[in-house]
Amino acid sequence: MSWFDGFAHRVRTVFNPGAHERELRDEMALHVELDAMQQRDANRARRRFGNRTYYQEETRRMTWLASLDVLRQDARYAWRSLRRTPGFVAMVVVTLALGLGVNAAMFSFLDRMFLRAPAGVSDPSALRRLWITRDRGTESFTYQGLNYPSYVALKAAAAGTAELALFNTDNGLRIGRNRDGPPVHAVYATSNYFDVLKVRPALGRFFAADEDVMGSGVDVAVVSHVFWRTRLGGDSSILGQTLMLGRTPYIVIGVVPPAFVGLDVQAGDVWIPLAAFPGRARQGKPWYQSPTTYGSRVVMRVRPDFDAGAFAARATVTMRRVEADLRGADADTSVSLATGSIIEARGPGKLAQETVIATRLGGVAVIVLLIACANVVNLLLARAVQRRREIAVRLALGLSRSRLVRLLTTETLLLALLAAGVAILTAWWGGNVLRSLLMPDIEWIDSALDGRVAVFALGVAVLAGLVAGVIPALQASNPRLGDALKSGVREGGAAGSRLRSALVVAQAAFSVVLLVGASLFVRTLQNVRGIDIGFDIERTVMAELQFEDGEEPPDVVVSAAMRDIAGRLERRPGVEHVGRAHLSPMRGYAVRPYFTGSDSVSFVSSDFGPLFSAVSGGFFAASGLRLLRGHTFSGGEYGSAGNEVMLNEAAARQFYPGGEPLGRCIRFGKRDNPCHTVVGVVENTHSRAVIDVKMGQFYVPLGSHAAEFSHGTAIVLRVRPEAMPSVRTEIQRELRRAFPLAHPFVISMSENLERDYRPWRLGATLFTAFGLLALLVALVGIYSTVSYTVGQRTHEFGVRIALGARMRDVVNHVLAEGLRVVAIGVAAGILLAMAAGRLVRSLLFGVEASDLSAMLLASCTLLLVAAAAALIPAWRAARVDPVTALRAD
Amino acid sequence: MAAKSDILPGTLDMLVLQTLSISPLHGYAIAQHIERLSHEVLRVEQGSLYPALERLQRDGLITGKWGTSPTGRRARYYTLTASGKKRLGQEISDFEQVSLAIARVLGREVRV
Repeated sequence: MSWFDGFAHRVRTVFNPGAHERELRDEMALHVELDAMQQRDANRARRRFGNRTYYQEETRRMTWLASLDVLRQDARYAWRSLRRTPGFVAMVVVTLALGLGVNAAMFSFLDRMFLRAPAGVSDPSALRRLWITRDRGTESFTYQGLNYPSYVALKAAAAGTAELALFNTDNGLRIGRNRDGPPVHAVYATSNYFDVLKVRPALGRFFAADEDVMGSGVDVAVVSHVFWRTRLGGDSSILGQTLMLGRTPYIVIGVVPPAFVGLDVQAGDVWIPLAAFPGRARQGKPWYQSPTTYGSRVVMRVRPDFDAGAFAARATVTMRRVEADLRGADADTSVSLATGSIIEARGPGKLAQETVIATRLGGVAVIVLLIACANVVNLLLARAVQRRREIAVRLALGLSRSRLVRLLTTETLLLALLAAGVAILTAWWGGNVLRSLLMPDIEWIDSALDGRVAVFALGVAVLAGLVAGVIPALQASNPRLGDALKSGVREGGAAGSRLRSALVVAQAAFSVVLLVGASLFVRTLQNVRGIDIGFDIERTVMAELQFEDGEEPPDVVVSAAMRDIAGRLERRPGVEHVGRAHLSPMRGYAVRPYFTGSDSVSFVSSDFGPLFSAVSGGFFAASGLRLLRGHTFSGGEYGSAGNEVMLNEAAARQFYPGGEPLGRCIRFGKRDNPCHTVVGVVENTHSRAVIDVKMGQFYVPLGSHAAEFSHGTAIVLRVRPEAMPSVRTEIQRELRRAFPLAHPFVISMSENLERDYRPWRLGATLFTAFGLLALLVALVGIYSTVSYTVGQRTHEFGVRIALGARMRDVVNHVLAEGLRVVAIGVAAGILLAMAAGRLVRSLLFGVEASDLSAMLLASCTLLLVAAAAALIPAWRAARVDPVTALRAD
Repeated sequence: MAAKSDILPGTLDMLVLQTLSISPLHGYAIAQHIERLSHEVLRVEQGSLYPALERLQRDGLITGKWGTSPTGRRARYYTLTASGKKRLGQEISDFEQVSLAIARVLGREVRV
């Protein structure tokens, strides 16, 4: 209570100093008046009181106004002295701004991913997500996708502890029928979704429970505030109007408040009842009854007394029961559930590689800032030595040491705040660049620069300013006064030069660490690009058709059309082979239950079973797979065939080790389905991603019994590189002619893989960029330090040259001294890099974090660059004219 | 006779607090009270009261409010706060301890 009372008084004085002064004057006047009446002598009273002006000043000294005065004075002094050296100011501000800018940009991204709860919801700390873990042999997968029956069971089981809502997203919708209309990000949600999130409509209403009954969903839509304002006119007449998304009309019934944009990083535009989700029926059942339609996510609001462990246990039991009911013998008994934070990136699921890269880059940004700060400290030390006479005079005239330190630190803070201003702009630009690099598929609604980022930048700037400013200030306030005031003394003091050297060592060490990182990531990218996935990356082209939801003709129709098209394409010049498949290679994979001989092995066993693919005979040649044994399917390149099967090498080794696979019998689907005879063995491939294990793979012919649900809707071609563009155009034309309303999709294998390469490419690019930035800053630091030292020792070099030293000797001397320090830094940096290797191990491929050649490369680069930086001042030193040097002060 | 700047700021604070513990007063009245009760042994240059009052307000031990004096003049009256009272108690006990110690050293008898 007392601190608060005093505080109120202090604040009042600061905000109204005029009133404070006036009141004090009145009070003192009254005092003297009363005393005069008492003493009956006005003069005596005045004398007794004392010097009023003096006491007024003394009283003012007790208030915060005095401190503010001092601050203002310090700032003015700092500004004046900085204005005299604009070059110095520019160097410090730019260096700091670089360090601050990259940190602020990284913070902007990382804050968005890890720290910010979804906006516009009430009490986000009570919200949770639900994660499912399934084991597949040695791997386990954690993700959020649930099927509808599981949700219903879990919701019932959780009653009383938590309320669950289910939602789904579709980012591929467009306004209107035109395939090129503006994109719309839709969220399909259960009717209690907004209740769970405690969001109230800004206009209109949200879904009613009867609009979200499975099997009879009503096509209504709730729109986001931004979407309403920018695309729908932004006035209240929107309620009841129709919004065309694709071919379906939706009636707009409400608008969410401006702050709410959904639960994902990608902001939602439209919310639609889950029952209206145009999911595909599977095996005769609608999507909400199908056990294999996963992909919906849960958001739940929990009670204050929520016990996550108990809930997870109960949910797991429920989930296993549902699995058993729905899938019988095929049920996955390894499934387990757990709750996680509403901030998705914090959940137990594995982070996207881009996000992991971003976290490491955050650390790198901090290192860049440290290097920048070391630079600034060095610059300040040098400047303090230049000003030592001025400082010595001030100290001799009575300036207290603490006041001097405060003064000098204020200077540095001023520089830091200037740098912060520049940094905020850099952060805005950098933040946008990071977003477009790390998550290019997202349409961002909010700016990369917001209050939090600005506050962060300012806070870090102040911290950096204080840290960087205090040491030189302390140093500067402790000169040997006598020496400083005398003329003719040169060296800045042993302690100062030790500190400067230490800073250069630190800068060199950090730079080496970042350079090692950059080279590791570049090597990783090279390794990843060099992976042999089995398919021929250069010559393979894939073609598919994409239809609007609900417009898709039956697979058999598409397949038949594709067969005709394949036949026509085969005759084109430039096309070497043509094949068909039910899934394009590297664009999807499937599994089916299989039975080899007497084994009764189900595909949901402890090991994730071999992959399954239905292809035509020409598929292997078209995608560049070598035939190792036997022959390919009958039925021609792109036609159908009988009940045959081909294995890849891994499958052959797995099921027939040492024996003969050809002629054996494999059944698919049910145990008593017809036999498929093994007719050949092909080489292994990566089928799911660029980085994959070489899994076993079954290939059955299109049209065979096992392929009854898998139709050849994709065409694969092997094309000569020079004919690529014309063949691709031809494919597009053929597809359009067959299905004018569909969207033809033609992609080469290398384009398809770019998606997989992207995180690696990003890692290499960003780490190299940051590493080079650090190198630049360190380079500037080394240059300025050597330059400064040379400047201090002009006299000494003059003497050396006068005594007969050659230019070469002086240059070598300066270089050797400079490089000695850098070499120590390099050694320290190598040790640091080895220690920190653990942090990036998960992002590397094909190269160890302690790779010797990377360290060697980094060290040599830094030494070379440092030598170049030191060469210029060294050369200047050798050019010193001994006469002028000896004569001058 | 004590010289005019003899009294230490810390002691002055204590005396002001003690004075105000009896009743709220304005600045002149406080000065009069201290002078009177100490039989003019302790004389402060009157002006030095005001920095002390500001200090005490800043530390939240007293609060000041403008009011009207018995003679109808506008004056600022100071009151002791709860923490002021507590601090007074501390200061008094400290002072007594120190006096005891000094007296012992000087070989004087102490009457509490």
